[in-house]
Amino acid sequence: MRESWKMVLRYLGAMALIAAVWAGASWLLQAVRGREILPTPWETAAAAGETLSVLAAALGTSALRFLIALAVAFLLGLPLGLAIGFESKLDRYLSPLIYLLYPMPPVALLLFLYLAFGLGEVVRLVVVVMALFFQIVVAAQGAAKYVVPSHSTAIRAAGATRRQVYRHVVLPATLPSVLTAARVSVGLGITMLYIAETKLGVLLGPGSGLGRFIEYYTFRGDIALAGVVGLALLGLLFYVVLELLERVLCRWKFVGARGGT
Amino acid sequence: MIEVDGLTVIYGRGDAAVPAVAGLSLEVDSYELVSIVGPSGCGKTTLLFALDGLISPTAGKIRIHGEEVRGVRRDVALILQDAGLLPWKTVRANAELSLRIQGRKETATKVLADLGLAGFEKRFPSELSEGMKRRVGIARALALQPRVMLMDEPTANLDSITREHIQNLILGLWWEMGFTGTLVTHDIEEAVFLGKRILVLSARPARVVEVIENPGMGEPGYRGTPEFTAQVAHLRQVLGGNGP
Repeated sequence: MRESWKMVLRYLGAMALIAAVWAGASWLLQAVRGREILPTPWETAAAAGETLSVLAAALGTSALRFLIALAVAFLLGLPLGLAIGFESKLDRYLSPLIYLLYPMPPVALLLFLYLAFGLGEVVRLVVVVMALFFQIVVAAQGAAKYVVPSHSTAIRAAGATRRQVYRHVVLPATLPSVLTAARVSVGLGITMLYIAETKLGVLLGPGSGLGRFIEYYTFRGDIALAGVVGLALLGLLFYVVLELLERVLCRWKFVGARGGT
Repeated sequence: MIEVDGLTVIYGRGDAAVPAVAGLSLEVDSYELVSIVGPSGCGKTTLLFALDGLISPTAGKIRIHGEEVRGVRRDVALILQDAGLLPWKTVRANAELSLRIQGRKETATKVLADLGLAGFEKRFPSELSEGMKRRVGIARALALQPRVMLMDEPTANLDSITREHIQNLILGLWWEMGFTGTLVTHDIEEAVFLGKRILVLSARPARVVEVIENPGMGEPGYRGTPEFTAQVAHLRQVLGGNGP
């Protein structure tokens, strides 16, 4: 408990540091260019207060959108990645396919995605899912490839079915790396979310996502910047949630050797 | 009773084919404990996996209690090298793993207590010493109440004191539970201590080249006897003559 308070304090300290650097940058830009370029933290905070209900709605919508995209990416990517990594036949035939598609940025396909899915909610989810899906597939595949053979032998020796091998060995063995990869991908996912909400959200109001909020207030720098802070907090939220998930689901990773006889 | 008749196991096909076991025959009587020794990489583990039904023979037959082995049997338990514990499962979950895989509802509580692991049920393998890990591996096998116990180097990489503890434990369990046992080892003293008969295998592909009767085996005190020392010396000589 005490540790977690210390962690909260460290995060507050980091926030204060960022705010100080930010204020310094605002002041410096104003001094150099002779006019306000970057709104200060307090101006941004005031702007956030001014549009609080819209900003909160935008944050909530973006968070929900990201959560759904993350869940879908896991549901589709995890089984596929594990199977490709663990079954050497699938690995031979599907890996080249994955590796060819993996570096392709979904942003480059926005036009076709728009034509295929229209401008509804689905297309925004598709863009984010595409970005996260490949990250999860590649992480799961990489981890499943190196499942310790004696672990699967241990349960095959008891007569385990293929399903039981996945449930008791392949999934738990790979979960830590997959969750870490998902955490690392949060930044990319948030970027894709922003792009989806701006490029494919032109018909929406400012409350329908932080990307749309930022674009809607393009000419009110202080309010737009409040939206950017919202995006950063959204990323932090998912980063922390994924880390907590790893601590709960992979508790064995976090226990040390205590010795014994 | 275990009967192996002309067992041949070949890995791979065509030019890449590697014979691991070639025309091996052996018999283990009911309630007998037999140790199997041979040069490293000679196919001992392959033989054990075939006995367990994990590997199907390329040729030959394996019968346990008169029935031909076609896949994993519920009355046969395998103790793996390095115990084969799953790091993400607690001691209890590891000990009950084979039971659960087979859809059985029994618990391993008593077995864990008998092996001195009471109070450690919620620990993870990374929190245990090597000796404790091996005992959890043994508990997993015992929980199945098997009639046949297959052991793959159960004391490999242990310090000598812990190794003797585990050897005494296996001997005690054999007396108590009366299983039919096959113990693969590369430790000469272990083979003499735990084998009523000692089967010496050739280098790969494995065949039985010699069977040593070892009637004195069966007591923890056997280690200190001149008979034990003589058997160890004899086995060392046999192995020296058959390998590099």
